[in-house]
Amino acid sequence: MDAWVRFSAQSQARERLCRAAQYACSLLGHALQRHGASPELQKQIRQLEGHLSLGRKLLRLGNSADALESAKRAVHLSDVVLRFCITVSHLNRALYFACDNVLWAGKSGLAPRVDQEKWAQRSFRYYLFSLIMNLSRDAYEIRLLMEQETSAHSRRMKISGVGVSGLETGGPGGPGTPGGCLPQLALKFRLRILLLARVLRDHPPLLLDVLRNACDLFIPLDKLGLWRCGPGIVGLCGLISSVLSILTLICPWLRLKP
Amino acid sequence: MDAFIRVANQSQGRDRLFRATQHACMLLRYLLESKAGKEAVVTKLKNLETSVSTGRKWFRLGNVLHAIQATEQSIQATDLVPRLCLTLANLNRVVYYICDTVLWAKSVGLTSGINREKWQMRAARHYYYFLLLSLVRDLYEVLLHMGQVARDRAKREKSSGDPPKYSVANEESEWLQSFLLLLFQSLKRNPPLFLDTVKNFCDILIPLNQLGIYKSNLGVVGFGGLVSSVAGLITVVYPQLKLKAR
Repeated sequence: MDAWVRFSAQSQARERLCRAAQYACSLLGHALQRHGASPELQKQIRQLEGHLSLGRKLLRLGNSADALESAKRAVHLSDVVLRFCITVSHLNRALYFACDNVLWAGKSGLAPRVDQEKWAQRSFRYYLFSLIMNLSRDAYEIRLLMEQETSAHSRRMKISGVGVSGLETGGPGGPGTPGGCLPQLALKFRLRILLLARVLRDHPPLLLDVLRNACDLFIPLDKLGLWRCGPGIVGLCGLISSVLSILTLICPWLRLKP
Repeated sequence: MDAFIRVANQSQGRDRLFRATQHACMLLRYLLESKAGKEAVVTKLKNLETSVSTGRKWFRLGNVLHAIQATEQSIQATDLVPRLCLTLANLNRVVYYICDTVLWAKSVGLTSGINREKWQMRAARHYYYFLLLSLVRDLYEVLLHMGQVARDRAKREKSSGDPPKYSVANEESEWLQSFLLLLFQSLKRNPPLFLDTVKNFCDILIPLNQLGIYKSNLGVVGFGGLVSSVAGLITVVYPQLKLKAR
């Protein structure tokens, strides 16, 4: 009970719950449509999804200020790449929220002449840019960690002195042997994959962030028409990313720190 | 900026901001309705008020659990009167939130066979009881503090040794002056109590109007809602100004 109260006291938490519910409705609506459910039920699900979507827009009012504040903080990061990625991501997020506020004003009747389609496209574009920057940052973090892991591994090998002679020896598939390139490349690729898996396993916050951003990516890609996934996939991805977001709110240690 | 973000990051803070907006629109609408050529503005204010009111339901979902927790906490109060008042008040708040959730389910089309008016009256009634009990508790606290101030004053007068001055004429008005002065000093010494009293007093105008017990105009309800929302916001920004159960 205490955990729920503390969790639900954050406005972001309610927005995430609302989002999870919205995409769950979207997924459910798609499933019901495919299995030939009654039109009445489908209409009801669609209506609920619309209410959730509009409700979330109100919950997001004022988030632009928060995103700008985050961008301001990110400017002080020492790492140049991280500084760029995170700052630009937050600025795009601020613009996304601003567009979202305009859409809300349009729907609520404050600004009836708002071109919903135009502003929606604009909003999703900024959202896409933000996600791309997030994934770039994730890729950079992964590369750094992989390099660290490789360095640590090499150092261990050197100290032990066991594998050095093995590396220096030509052996099968060494340079100069024709036809040995392909197995070697495959081996190298497999080693890279294993290394990546180990890095992600050892750093749950990074894994969660990658998964969340990857899942989120499908939403603007579909809405902007860049990659048609269909409402089922979008609903599923939205639901997964919302659950992951809620997870980082419940367990703050799973949040990726810059 | 930081202060705003801190407030906006709390559900309660954000809800209070939207509530203040909602009631400010109500007040402005009342003030502008009689003016000529302001129809467009009045319509926009009405739309904004409706949108914010509808959207705020999302902030109240799940608050029934908060109210249950508050009820559990109020049972722990040592003083009997606050314990009784707060427990009953919070129980009414739980019922109010349940009614509110039912109304929400109706508005989004999840349930069909719900009588909106009946449930709205039910919600308003329990909200009214909650506020009434909160005011009783506030009154009790005020009386305690007035007693304390009176004792402190008597102690000071005794130590100074001045003879008490009696005048038969204007005895009633003098008593009233003395009472109001005592009340003022008690509230001044205890800002959390003052804020809580103001908030509950302004809030109670809303269900009184809805239930038809005391009819006010749109302006009074709007103003009352605005003042109570601002008072609520102050307690979110400065948690030390929140009234604690003794």
